[in-house]
Amino acid sequence: MDLFTAITLAVFLPFIMAAILPTAEKILKNRVGWYAAAVAFICLLLVAQALPAVVNGETVMGSLPWIPSLGVELSFYGDGLSVMFGLIVSGVGILIMSYSNEYMSKREDLSRYYRYLLMFMGSMLGMVFSSNAIQLFVFWELTSITSFMLIGYWRNRPMSVYGATKSLLVTAGGGIFMLAGFLLLGIITGTFDIATILQNTSMIALIKGHELFLPALVLIIIGAAAKSAQGPFYIWLPNAMEAPTPVSAFLHSATMVKAGIYLVARIHPIFSGTEAWFVLVSGLGIITMLAAGFLAFRQTDIKGILAYSTISQLAYMMAMYGYTSYQYPGIGVAAATFHLFNHATFKACLFLVAGIVAHETATRDITKMGGLRKDMPITFIIGTIAALSMAGVPPLNGFLSKEMFYESSLEMGHILGGPLEYLIPAAAVLGGAFTFAYSIRFIDGIFLGRRRSEHLPKHMHEPTPVMLAPPALLAILVILIGIFPSATVHYIIEPAASGILLEDVHLHVSLWHGFTAALLMTIITFIAGAALYAKYGAIAAWQDRVNARHPAWSFNSLYDRFVDGASGTSTAFAKVMQPGPLRPYLVAMLMIFLLLSAVPAVMVAGTLIPAELNFDVPAYEAVLLGLIVLASLGTAVLKKYLHAIIAVSAVGYLVSLVFIYLQAPDLAITQILVETLATIIFLLVIIKVPQTFRERITRSVLARDLLISSAVSVTVLILLLNASQGIVSPFESLSYYFIENSVPLAGGYNMVNVILVDFRGYDTLGEIVVLCLAGLGVYNLLKSRSDSK
Amino acid sequence: MNDTLLSVSIALVFGIATFMILRRDLIRVAIGVTLLSHATNMLIVSTGAFLGDRAPIITGEEAVSTGGIFIDDLAAGILAPVIPEGTEMAYVDPLVQALTLTAIVISLATTAFLLILCYRLYQEQGTTDVSEIRRLKG
Repeated sequence: MDLFTAITLAVFLPFIMAAILPTAEKILKNRVGWYAAAVAFICLLLVAQALPAVVNGETVMGSLPWIPSLGVELSFYGDGLSVMFGLIVSGVGILIMSYSNEYMSKREDLSRYYRYLLMFMGSMLGMVFSSNAIQLFVFWELTSITSFMLIGYWRNRPMSVYGATKSLLVTAGGGIFMLAGFLLLGIITGTFDIATILQNTSMIALIKGHELFLPALVLIIIGAAAKSAQGPFYIWLPNAMEAPTPVSAFLHSATMVKAGIYLVARIHPIFSGTEAWFVLVSGLGIITMLAAGFLAFRQTDIKGILAYSTISQLAYMMAMYGYTSYQYPGIGVAAATFHLFNHATFKACLFLVAGIVAHETATRDITKMGGLRKDMPITFIIGTIAALSMAGVPPLNGFLSKEMFYESSLEMGHILGGPLEYLIPAAAVLGGAFTFAYSIRFIDGIFLGRRRSEHLPKHMHEPTPVMLAPPALLAILVILIGIFPSATVHYIIEPAASGILLEDVHLHVSLWHGFTAALLMTIITFIAGAALYAKYGAIAAWQDRVNARHPAWSFNSLYDRFVDGASGTSTAFAKVMQPGPLRPYLVAMLMIFLLLSAVPAVMVAGTLIPAELNFDVPAYEAVLLGLIVLASLGTAVLKKYLHAIIAVSAVGYLVSLVFIYLQAPDLAITQILVETLATIIFLLVIIKVPQTFRERITRSVLARDLLISSAVSVTVLILLLNASQGIVSPFESLSYYFIENSVPLAGGYNMVNVILVDFRGYDTLGEIVVLCLAGLGVYNLLKSRSDSK
Repeated sequence: MNDTLLSVSIALVFGIATFMILRRDLIRVAIGVTLLSHATNMLIVSTGAFLGDRAPIITGEEAVSTGGIFIDDLAAGILAPVIPEGTEMAYVDPLVQALTLTAIVISLATTAFLLILCYRLYQEQGTTDVSEIRRLKG
């Protein structure tokens, strides 16, 4: 199998398998999670096939036609970055789906759960391997939609629904900005293929010099920030914790939230090296890192702590991807990529541990926990390893990438000079100290000390190996990468960083690299973090007080006001537009008809009434028309239904005479038949519906209705009189075709019949369908008498 | 050039139909809808018969594209779009007639549906007054 086929298969396999999952569930019953895990495993194997190629610096490319008429192709591009993401997505996917077998109760709707998980995995793989920007957008939004489904998995919990809606509005809304940014890129370069742009240095130069550079960059960064919960968009991620915990581990720590980071990495060569790039990406990253790290103090929900820590960790990566001047890429990119990989391991592990803890204690409130190390020693060890890695303690992998974060911060500060030379490293250390503090709290609050609550179950025990093995594997990975980083760096991080920078990157990472400035910063971090942890309760209490005093001081309240306001405004608008009674609608429709037809007609013809009028008609025509008008008036004037109906059927029969006069014999016959039927139906109905009331037409109502009717009448008159002035026929009539071909093609001499049954036969079929539906409707209406009568 | 009297009549029927549609009584609304479809059908067919200012072409030759097929001289008569054996003439527009034929049949279907709705409403609510029914709904 060639690599392109392997990657295409890896993208589509999850979707196909999700479609047949209900069938698999019938056979496997509640062990269907293993089926999903197997699919993830196959995807991992498929993606891993591309690994040797990308380690050698090659890329996988290819495309399938999708909408050829629009030049849209399904094109895939695999480089080191894509393959690294593919491995994380499918690898974590295996662990999550195995873990879910035990985590999800057998009574849950497992089919729906795994279907969405598989679809999410396929969308995520599709996104990272997309070469075409539009295709990337489609998969991007698919991940938002599947995330919405999974957060709202417990449909009857209001908070789930709230969190799901919030995440969809923020992430999918951000996606629209990203699409606009892609469209600008397309306008600048004339192509939507990202791989083409990346491999074409003149195109990149063109973009950097273009006046649309900044708008395109800002729009794409908004999309990335919304997806990765950066800046003001962070608000959706804490509410997304309403999802089942394996979903949080998969989507909201290891994969989906990194889509924004992926996007930043992917467009790095196109936009980086400019001042705007540094200010937007690094600025956003550093501010988010500090704010989210600080806000984590107040959280009492263990998943809430992890959510804020995820936001802050993603901000590290943002900041590092922003740390690049064009002349000197520095180690920022490699460091960010390494941290991204490490974060996926330790954060997914922490979420899985949180899931175990919540599962056993039946609560997620950290203030009620404590002392769990005695009941669950293995979980305690796993959770401690992962949390210490997050805190940046050696010899774990989080330590290595955090050292690189400090190193790159120092380097960037040095390049920029001025006060920033000290401010950037200081911000980095402060962010690290926050991380250290909440990591320690996670360990201390849950596992150490003694039980703080009597409400905890008496007997808590280790979970089964099914739930224990996935986090244990991740914890082993955390240690292995920490002690022997070179294999991971060589096979995964270097190809990925090369894919981003478009040049060979060589990275030397080792546990001990001498007494450097970065090591000094780490030591300061630990001391500051420990000090912060000592004051933990006081800081959290202060945050609570500020929040209680100024509830409006948050992006959440802004979001709530916006959403409630939008819903209120649309309700008010609907009340105006749809008041209920029939008459306002009719008046509105008629007014629009008048505006849309009379105004253009007069504008084109240039006159209201044409100069030449023709009253020279035979006497019998004048009599016929006079009778029609008279009979029509009769329908309006006659009081009794019966009389009015006789008048309306008189109009109908007279119209058939007009058709004869207008040389339309087929219409005349049809009209006579239809009129007869219509009269019979009218009469049948009024036998059952006696005159029940007589509308009292007041003067004002009469004046209003007469005004509207006259306006309609005059409009039609103007239209008809001007119809001969050449306003309706700017192109040749289709009729010539039918006249010429009626005999040669259809062999019929009556052109109307030929058009109906031959040239436009499908229209007639449609007409018959309408008749059938109306007949069915009538039949059912007559049958559906309510029981009350 | 044009048949002004026919145009005026059609316009008047349009006006009366509009007046009827604005009534509160649903049976009268149904009558208005019927009138409206009559007026519309006449309008479409008449534009087919009187379109353009092109010369009437009655040649002894084939009825092929002569550039103008519509007769607007009433004295000379209007020709139905039926091809008699052995003659070649210019015709009124067959296409609008085909369209109108479909429209006539469909308007019957809608009228029937509307009337049965009126009937069922009367059965359930005892009235065909739109405002009254709305009040009942609350």
